[in-house]
Amino acid sequence: MSNYTILNNDAHKDLRVNTSRSAELGDNIMYTMTFPLEFRDIQSCYPIFFCKDPDSGQLYPAALLGFEQNKNLFLSDSGWDATYIPLMVRRHPFLIGFQADPDGAEGATKPVVSIDSDSPRLIEAHGEESQEGEALFKQDGTPSDFLQTSIGTLESIHRGLEHNKGFIAALLEHELLEPFTLEITLNDGSNNQLLGFYTIAEEKLQSLDGDTLAKFNAQGYLQSIYMAIASFARLRPMIDKKNAQLG
Amino acid sequence: MNQKINRVVIVGGGTAGWLSAGVIAAEHFIGSKNNSPEDSFQLTLVESPDIATIGVGEGTWPSMRSTLQKMGISETDFFRECSASFKQGTLFKGWRTGADDIYTHPFTPPQSYTEVNLAPHWQTAREQINFAQAVSPQSALFTDKLAPKQISTPEYAFNVNYGYHLDAAKFAEFLRKHCVEKLGVTHIKANVTAINSADNGDIASIATDSHGNIEGDLFIDCSGSRALLLGEHFGIPVISKNDILFNNTALAAQVPYNDENDPIESCTLSTAQSAGWIWEIGLPTRRGIGHVYSSDHNTEERASEELLAYIASTVSKQAAASATLRKVQFSPGHRAKFWHKNCVAIGMSAGFIEPLEASALVLVELSAAMIAEQLPANRGVMDLVAKRFNDKFLYRWDRIIEFLKLHYILTQRRDTDYWRDNCEASSIPEQLTDLLALWRHQSPWHRDTNNADDMFPSASFQYVLYGMDFETMPSQTQRRSEQADQQRAGRLFQENAVRTQQLQTSLPSNRDLINKIHTFGFQKI
Repeated sequence: MSNYTILNNDAHKDLRVNTSRSAELGDNIMYTMTFPLEFRDIQSCYPIFFCKDPDSGQLYPAALLGFEQNKNLFLSDSGWDATYIPLMVRRHPFLIGFQADPDGAEGATKPVVSIDSDSPRLIEAHGEESQEGEALFKQDGTPSDFLQTSIGTLESIHRGLEHNKGFIAALLEHELLEPFTLEITLNDGSNNQLLGFYTIAEEKLQSLDGDTLAKFNAQGYLQSIYMAIASFARLRPMIDKKNAQLG
Repeated sequence: MNQKINRVVIVGGGTAGWLSAGVIAAEHFIGSKNNSPEDSFQLTLVESPDIATIGVGEGTWPSMRSTLQKMGISETDFFRECSASFKQGTLFKGWRTGADDIYTHPFTPPQSYTEVNLAPHWQTAREQINFAQAVSPQSALFTDKLAPKQISTPEYAFNVNYGYHLDAAKFAEFLRKHCVEKLGVTHIKANVTAINSADNGDIASIATDSHGNIEGDLFIDCSGSRALLLGEHFGIPVISKNDILFNNTALAAQVPYNDENDPIESCTLSTAQSAGWIWEIGLPTRRGIGHVYSSDHNTEERASEELLAYIASTVSKQAAASATLRKVQFSPGHRAKFWHKNCVAIGMSAGFIEPLEASALVLVELSAAMIAEQLPANRGVMDLVAKRFNDKFLYRWDRIIEFLKLHYILTQRRDTDYWRDNCEASSIPEQLTDLLALWRHQSPWHRDTNNADDMFPSASFQYVLYGMDFETMPSQTQRRSEQADQQRAGRLFQENAVRTQQLQTSLPSNRDLINKIHTFGFQKI
């Protein structure tokens, strides 16, 4: 389970983070949330689908990493075999938390960097000169380059979440998402069904009027929609990977 | 006689009026571009600003889902604005013996119902497991106060079938807004002062105090039990069914939850009393609790004592002490016919019977749907449609009355005149007596009849019969089909047990899901 606390340079000064990729560190996942702002990189490696958060029913775009629960086809003993790793994977062990904003209006919150103190990525350095993993803070208590980068990742995610809301709402308003079932037959003859995913309804997309297309273009949604469609081409290499694993 | 039927006027703005308006308007595209002005269909609803709606019917059948969906209503909006909750069936307490006996009537039919009749196969296990739990996961789910779906399930879709509990006053207002803003229904607030006849005896127009004469080709009487048009104007009498179903008085209360996070029942509770039964309908905001009884068998004083005792024991003594009881009297029965000349009655103007199986709203839905579907093209063919309508709904009323009566005649209770009188042969419709004799030897089954107008599927009869401990005797000879089905039945019972457990662990509580609908809403996909 996760146990998030707000990051601070006193309590967490000796913490280091293991940045390698492995099942033990929580990377063996079937899919992960993604954002239009990283679609360009995502679609070069992974198929982009849409799925629902089971707790809220809200839809979000996701990068598909495997065909079964807890099976990431890109993960091997030597790490994560792809040129781009999704933001939501790279964020660990950090998360954006929200704290009451004393300077804002009543009920206003501001984002703060939180850390999962139960994350398997954390290494207690115990004061000695440990070289394993990445330090969070420099000797003087200022953020390390690694932490700076991580904060950048969190900021991207924060913007991405906001952008997703508008993107998904626009897709739903124009009925541009439809449920789909992916059936994959592997070389060993086994059939695998992927249920619960949604994809762009291409027929609806083709019948959009010019005004809507212009609006989507101005908002950047049009490019994201076509990148999601193009990303389907990444399914084939994944199936090949899966077949190769079967031997 | 070739006058087109383009102007429909609904008189009365309760749930029946607005639901009818919505169903008809959604089918006929008022003011749509496809209609040329002379063909354009107009629907006007005239509502008295002075008459409060009774707000009868806070429980629906699963049919309400498709009724709302066809009207273009968002299920999320419906939940948020009508204090709606999920209903998965009914739980009956004390009907068999008056003690702690319980049985359920879930909305979901037995597993693989169209292929295998599980009833005879269950008979051998009847001591170990009750019928409803053996054949369907649903009663276990609503006994646990679980929801029939998840927040990620699209609107109107389900894991197990469901209808709704709702706040009738809010529902009428919600429908009004939708009808006027989205479906193009004209809403006139006025009192009807007179009814103007045409030469052929039809209603030509209704005179109002503030909007003059309102003309129409078809008038729908949704004016409640007084039946302003069909009853008062045309004099179509009510056929009393008081000799079969004795309940004619209801005392209703609205009780707050002890804590706002208390669980919400996902079924209607029906608890038998000395001369009637108490309903309990859980909404997110309150519990609707009422006692429906026979005034020939019970005094109002005693009936309210029983109701307050129920509230005291299920809610709190304090809730019982502060409860306000509202009394509604009705004479159980229906009009001799529902469609006369160019006037058709829907809702309480057509008839009313105790709410034991929540038949009020479904009759409104079915009536409005038939009018929408068979709207006569001209006056010349209207009488033919009227006859069809009358035949169909007289048949349906008879079936409802028989099914309600079935709940009473299987009781072992003999503790009061009410229960003894209910079991008197003279109070039981002949066809029901015949069926009961037949069911001693063969269980009800969906191939028994092929009448599409049967209100209750044979599965419902199975749930009530076997829930009430009715015994169907085993076949006297060996049956090929029963032997062939035996293994399959065993498998289905097992599958049902597995599926029940899966659903019990994966479905949220009714309260949790309703909270999530208020926060996030359902997706349309």
